[in-house]
Amino acid sequence: MKKTQRTLFTLLFLMIFPNLLMAQLERERVVTDQPEELIFMAPRNINLYTVEPLSKGELHYSIMHTFGEVSGGVSELWGIDQGANVRFSFEYGFGDEFSVGFGRSSMDKVYDISSRYSLVRQMQSGGSPVSVTVIPSIGITTGSYGFLNVDYTFSDRLNFNLATPIARKMSDDLSLQIVPMITHFNRVGFELSVADPAVNTYYSVGVGGRYKVAPRTAVTFQYIPPLTDAENLDHNIGIGIDIETGGHVFQMFFTTSRALNESYLVSSNNGDFFDGGYRFGFNINRLFRIK
Amino acid sequence: MKKSILLFTTLIFAAGSFITERATAQKYMADDGYVEFISTAPLLEFKGVSENLTGLINLDTNMVDFYVDLNTLETGIQRRDRDMRNSYLETDKFPFAEFTGELISEFDPNLQEKQEARVRGMFKIHGVEREIEVTGTLEPDGESLQLEAGWTVLLADYNIDRPGVLFYELAEEQTVNISIQLVKTDN
Repeated sequence: MKKTQRTLFTLLFLMIFPNLLMAQLERERVVTDQPEELIFMAPRNINLYTVEPLSKGELHYSIMHTFGEVSGGVSELWGIDQGANVRFSFEYGFGDEFSVGFGRSSMDKVYDISSRYSLVRQMQSGGSPVSVTVIPSIGITTGSYGFLNVDYTFSDRLNFNLATPIARKMSDDLSLQIVPMITHFNRVGFELSVADPAVNTYYSVGVGGRYKVAPRTAVTFQYIPPLTDAENLDHNIGIGIDIETGGHVFQMFFTTSRALNESYLVSSNNGDFFDGGYRFGFNINRLFRIK
Repeated sequence: MKKSILLFTTLIFAAGSFITERATAQKYMADDGYVEFISTAPLLEFKGVSENLTGLINLDTNMVDFYVDLNTLETGIQRRDRDMRNSYLETDKFPFAEFTGELISEFDPNLQEKQEARVRGMFKIHGVEREIEVTGTLEPDGESLQLEAGWTVLLADYNIDRPGVLFYELAEEQTVNISIQLVKTDN
């Protein structure tokens, strides 16, 4: 009885106010799936390359620094007085998946040419759980090695690196990546900043991540274990902070190595992070649109 | 017996009123309207544009209902779009900008000329809803209505955070303009 009354009541109500039958438009998304974006804030996370691609026509400029070890204390202004290893680079997106970069690091006066190819993109729908990027690069040391009194050929100056970051945005805030990488120096010796002057080929699997503590601020880390059987190679440990300012991305960090590109990240020596063997560094990233 | 008569009568009335409603419905809809968000900062002016504005005006009830999928907004620089979606609008969580309200000014759909139209209702973006009043124009054109309107949005009102340090490339005050041709529909 009560149920019938209620039904009648509802019908009468709708009869008097028929417009209530016509509610708002149903909200429908136009974009239902797209790649996860900004897995990292910049093409690099501390020093390691990331899966963060450039779009077609974007020019990325970065300048990276690492200073001396902070263990020098105040008289060395915690390593700043010792001068910096500086790397500047330009990278241009020829397509949404493919970019080519050029850089120069002051340590060992290395020019490097690299390309990044975005093989797989993590999709919001879960289509692919990870993003994978392939980054081959060639480095050319341009120091004057006349003091060695040997014939230093162009080929002797070359090194080759392959890095393949595999990353996943675990949540809006947390992104993680592993970066298998291998480097071969055609010639090694005491003249180069490699850990072991008798080892030509170095490899490792780097680990990196970022955790957003605010919409445009993240804490970052990297770890590159010394997997190669070589003397003087130690753990590369870095912790830092990324600040996105609406145009620039500033990355400030402490790391155990002066190295700023893949070839040297995997091959050069590191301080002991837990014994003052770390140094200050920072990167400035800026993106331009070239039509 | 009495009950069933009452039920029958009610159903007849309900059906009748529904049919009448359909016959005289004055609903106008579109899903390809234009919307732009203009940011005018001291050093940089840019706008985010979408052509996926979806809208409904029901002249019987004076209801006005609009929304746009914010993932369709483009500023011309893809990195800026990604930042806009991820750091500012957070479109994962809040995919739509929407307005639902009513027409509060007089409007004559038979007068084939541009008429001032005022609407009042709730504007919602980034999960925050606020009452706004917007003045625009409505112009009947055969079986369609052309709507133009604009208003300003203060990002802080909608908890949209701007970078507080170093750079001010994104303006606190955004101008929103919409333009949409709504077509009469029977649905």
